[in-house]
Amino acid sequence: MSKGTHRAYIFTLSAIVLIILAWLIYTGQDYYQVALKERFYHDDHQQLKPSGVFGHGYGIMGSLALLIGVGSYMARKRWRTLSKVGVLKHWLEFHIFLCTLGPLLILFHTAFKFGGIVAISFWAMVAVFVSGIIGRFIYLQIPRTIQGRELSLNEVKNMKSDLKAILTEKYQLDEETTRFTEEAADNKNKSKVKSLLKGKLPQKDFKNALKLVNHEISLNKRIERLNTMQNLFKYWHVVHLPFALIMLVIMIIHVVVVTILGYRWIF
Amino acid sequence: MNGLAKIVAIILVNLMYTLTGLAQLSPGKLVEAHAHLEGLSNCTKCHTLGAKITNKKCLDCHTLLKNRIDQKLGYHASEKVFGKPCIQCHSDHHGRDFEIIRFKKDTFNHDLTGYTLKGAHANTDCGECHKDEHIENPKIREKEYSYLGLNSECLTCHTDYHQNTLASACSDCHGFEAFEPAVNFNHDETDFTLKGKHREVECDDCHEVTTRSGKEFHEFAGVDHNSCADCHTDVHDNKFGQNCQRCHTEESFFKVKGIDQFDHSKTGFELEGKHSFLDCRSCHQNNYTAPIEHSRCSDCHEDYHQGQFAENGTSHDCAECHDVNGFEKTSFSIQEHNKTDFPLEGAHLATPCIACHKTGKKWDFANMGETCIDCHENIHDPYLDQSYYEDEGCESCHSVDMWSTIDFNHSITEFELQGAHREQSCRDCHFEERNGNSMQRFSELNSECTNCHQDIHYGQFEKSGTTDCTRCHAFENWEASRFDHDNTLFPLDGKHEDVACYKCHEEKTIEGNTFTEYKIEEFKCEDCHQ
Repeated sequence: MSKGTHRAYIFTLSAIVLIILAWLIYTGQDYYQVALKERFYHDDHQQLKPSGVFGHGYGIMGSLALLIGVGSYMARKRWRTLSKVGVLKHWLEFHIFLCTLGPLLILFHTAFKFGGIVAISFWAMVAVFVSGIIGRFIYLQIPRTIQGRELSLNEVKNMKSDLKAILTEKYQLDEETTRFTEEAADNKNKSKVKSLLKGKLPQKDFKNALKLVNHEISLNKRIERLNTMQNLFKYWHVVHLPFALIMLVIMIIHVVVVTILGYRWIF
Repeated sequence: MNGLAKIVAIILVNLMYTLTGLAQLSPGKLVEAHAHLEGLSNCTKCHTLGAKITNKKCLDCHTLLKNRIDQKLGYHASEKVFGKPCIQCHSDHHGRDFEIIRFKKDTFNHDLTGYTLKGAHANTDCGECHKDEHIENPKIREKEYSYLGLNSECLTCHTDYHQNTLASACSDCHGFEAFEPAVNFNHDETDFTLKGKHREVECDDCHEVTTRSGKEFHEFAGVDHNSCADCHTDVHDNKFGQNCQRCHTEESFFKVKGIDQFDHSKTGFELEGKHSFLDCRSCHQNNYTAPIEHSRCSDCHEDYHQGQFAENGTSHDCAECHDVNGFEKTSFSIQEHNKTDFPLEGAHLATPCIACHKTGKKWDFANMGETCIDCHENIHDPYLDQSYYEDEGCESCHSVDMWSTIDFNHSITEFELQGAHREQSCRDCHFEERNGNSMQRFSELNSECTNCHQDIHYGQFEKSGTTDCTRCHAFENWEASRFDHDNTLFPLDGKHEDVACYKCHEEKTIEGNTFTEYKIEEFKCEDCHQ
């Protein structure tokens, strides 16, 4: 997938989420703002109540989105047959898309009424959603191959470029500037790097040189906290996965119960 | 199992355990009335597996309502509601204080309950009727509130003012706007149709307001009405029996029907003469049967004579002069009149009463006076000297027989009647036509002949301005019996005695007057003879 295609892919997924969110708000803003005990007598209640044509639909669609989002991503990660299909990053992005859209639909399925066992599922879903955002942050802190595999510490260190040689040879900086810049990069002091390089290079070179040094600083930071992040990520899974499982289990109970009671949407 | 998997498993198991402990599948708290149905074990008391909420389960509990629906009674059995899922209007799991019955009093169509709110009912607060004391069924009454339990009988809510004396179908008589008046009541549908004045009288006049069981009570049922006297007082004291309708109608007691058949003689006052043609109201002005005085005519009749016949303050009764055949005629006879201070004599006997007693518009009887002049006009004043009829006493000359019959001694005057004068009527001398009017001449006459007679001699024998006819004429006729030609300046001798008078006394005309010339100034022979 080219960069442009990827951008379009991300844009499309984001747009779908935003459009659906806007439509959900637009359709039900009046109903959802009504006090719970007044909702039954609202004109839109029959459509937007959790068991209504729309409300129930949101629940089913949201659940399917979650199931597909979680299931597909887990399958891609765990099933060897799928390990070569696509880039894991894109799978993750699709996972994030569906697992954002799913909770969103389920949120409107609940009609913002949080009670009973299914509320636990809901809050578990919220926890998974929030933890997913945190996880995404941690995930970015761990350098990976293009396939998404984590790089080892050595692999990361090998990624470091010879900053001194590049600054001296490519940008013709004097030895003193090069040395100070290298020191500042080691100290992860971006502002100092900027002040050192400012005025000593043409504008274009200045930007490229600054980008190079900042990348180096970032790499230094990652190397420095790689171990921490790797540990955090292990613990993150302890939160993210169980909540997802709780959500799924209760959701299944919820679905089974309401189905038994006869709430079968349009079927 | 690695360490991470263990941790995950522990968390999951704990969470599941907690959730199972909560055992909370309910999507929200049940309403207060259903609070006893909270809990996982109670779900199926309302929910039917595979069929959501069914009416059957609702009505399994709500049996009172079910009974009403089964009987096709009430709002839930109405066409609009019957067959709809209960849950469509009555949802739950919305919290304890949720209004599971949202009842909009202002817009609720009460017609659907099978009882249309009419008239004042439409403006009455629901709670005025739907309250415990009006609910018969104790099970419904126990409920905190319910709109069940009322039936459509008026007495369910309204007190029986008639205290079970009338049929319970109040609306047969009363409308829905107000208890009073009873607009649907038609008295004609009762055993006693209202006619005439009965239509106008207040109900209370016949239907007495009393107190029964400590409450005001209007007696409508059981009012005796077979006889008029059930309500009306018999003012006749049963003199005419109990069948009032023989004489009276419902229109008015004062209008008596069949009056022709009414025997007034039973009243002690038989109607005779003009009385028998009178309208009853002429005498019985207020009430036919109210006693009226009738011993004297003046009890009904006004004293036309205004007390003229009163003596010592008491008037004679009309019947002394009049009878029932009319006031115009009178039984007051001449004999009666002759007992008065003015007995009728002569022409007065033939004079109609009106001539003396009705000189104006009204009859007048009292203080008529006794002298002629009280009635008659003294036509002689001022033509006749009153010395001849002192105190205007006509009797000096006239009598009551006839005005023209005069009995007067003319000799008391200066002119005693003699000769032909005795044969003349008074008028011949004492009345004279002047300018077409007959004028009296009494005082203006004296004893001179020329007062009456014309001097056809045109003053030939006048002496000192007076012509004394009696010197030649007597009173028997106009013959000059007292004339002696010898006493004249020319006594007749010889042949003159045989000569016709006109031979010497010729007719002459002077100033248009033609007369015989007796007074011959020159009577020498040659004056006559040639």
